[in-house]
Amino acid sequence: MPRTTAIATRELSKTYKDVKALDNVTLDLEPDRIYGLLGRNGAGKTTLMSILTGQNYADHGTAEIFGHAPFEHDPTLSRICFIRESQKYPDDFKVHQAFESAALFFENWDEDLAQELVEAFALPINRRIKKLSRGQLSAVGVIIGMASRADITFFDEPYLGLDAVARQIFYDRLVEDFAEYPRTIVLSSHLIDEVANLLEHVIVIDKGQIVIDSDAEELRGTAVTVTGDAAKVQEFIGAAQVLHRDALGALASVTIKAKLDADQREQAKLMGLDLSPVSLQQLVVRSALSGTTAQRTEERTEARK
Amino acid sequence: MNRVIKVARMQLINKGTFIGIPLIILGASFLFTMAIWWLVRRNGGDGAMYSGGAQAPMWYFLALGIQSLTLTFPFSMAMSISRRTFYLGTVALFSVCALALSVFYYLMGLLEVATDGWGMGGQFFALQWIADNNWLVQILFYFVLMVLLFMIGFLAATIYMRWRTTGMVAFFICLGVLVLGIIALITLTNSWGEFWSWALTWTAAGVTLWGGIVALLMAGGSYLTLRKATA
Repeated sequence: MPRTTAIATRELSKTYKDVKALDNVTLDLEPDRIYGLLGRNGAGKTTLMSILTGQNYADHGTAEIFGHAPFEHDPTLSRICFIRESQKYPDDFKVHQAFESAALFFENWDEDLAQELVEAFALPINRRIKKLSRGQLSAVGVIIGMASRADITFFDEPYLGLDAVARQIFYDRLVEDFAEYPRTIVLSSHLIDEVANLLEHVIVIDKGQIVIDSDAEELRGTAVTVTGDAAKVQEFIGAAQVLHRDALGALASVTIKAKLDADQREQAKLMGLDLSPVSLQQLVVRSALSGTTAQRTEERTEARK
Repeated sequence: MNRVIKVARMQLINKGTFIGIPLIILGASFLFTMAIWWLVRRNGGDGAMYSGGAQAPMWYFLALGIQSLTLTFPFSMAMSISRRTFYLGTVALFSVCALALSVFYYLMGLLEVATDGWGMGGQFFALQWIADNNWLVQILFYFVLMVLLFMIGFLAATIYMRWRTTGMVAFFICLGVLVLGIIALITLTNSWGEFWSWALTWTAAGVTLWGGIVALLMAGGSYLTLRKATA
């Protein structure tokens, strides 16, 4: 029997005045995996998550969580946790009061985990939330998200303002906790390299449209950077689609969209060319955000030569 | 159902907001009134003394209606609570608090009458116009007044949450036009005299009834508005 899809959207669209925040988004997310929702600021990540969590609603299309529309449906909502990046808290709330609230509503709330994380992030629990620094505010959201152990947990740019140590704590604890309590996690981010290792599946959204929806491992294999003598590189890549090109004197480093087989790799070796994998971030930036930005980058590269 | 009660518990996490502050306001305005009355009597003032101090906490409910929405609603969304549940929990909690305070007003009114106006012949809780009615009307009168003020704040805040500044501007322009229209109607038909003599015939029971209807309409309006509001 096929497992029920955790999140399913069909032709989801949402327009704010003259901005298309979401444009025909159709997605299926399997349960118990870690998804990366990647894209630039303003690409539609938060709008998508808001609709999936019933905090907002679409103009067209449907969104279902475990087979049911989440909008105003408490039994479905109670399985979701979504703390926004710009989450507002009651003005007079202290940190521990936000956790008390969360403990009321999230049935799987793990108080011990929350306490551990408070210590790990060195969060002052008796301070008023409005007095917290940006990093501490992010930590509050991260702790609620992790300790709620909701079936579907959304993290919205969770690392904002967190220092390197705190970010590493977050990534480590997330993986640890996920191993013990598998659930569906959607991590929204515009810092792709930092979260790349966590992700099992990557969804890239740009200008409201899904431009990549692919297994992370598979995605990494779809492009390669070829480095070596410019003429030989050109000969090797032939007509393959070029994502990015760097040149330095007689040397060229070209990223192409191609899956190389063993023969081709052997050939590259014979030609004295170096093959290197492409980081997720490069791949996303080069191939997905192809609109104006990537094009302009290309033009600039051309002009430099 | 259970989650409705949890919303009420969430609103009460900071006990000051719903219970502490109204009691402090009431206590302070009562003590101030007592002190003033005492000074008046000391200086040989006589005759009945009235105070409108009992309404002091009610104005706080206007602010509470705004606060419990603008501050707590976006957070309740993050707690994965539906708008309906949030609405029911918040309004139910306020109703219980308002009812408790109304009963308290009524009981204090009895005490006031029994002690001959706190020994000074003053009227703070048992204002003649209200105290002349039976216990049910008295309690309902206070209750409706409190709910009405809370609902004004709550409705305005839901309109803001749903339509933001545009909604607020439209709301107040409509309200302005409506009030101005009524004033113009009375003025142009030269019926201010009739209006005031009509207003004087109002009874506490009548005000309670009509106030209750208006409060119910506003409650319905804010519910429908909230159903599609976004944090």
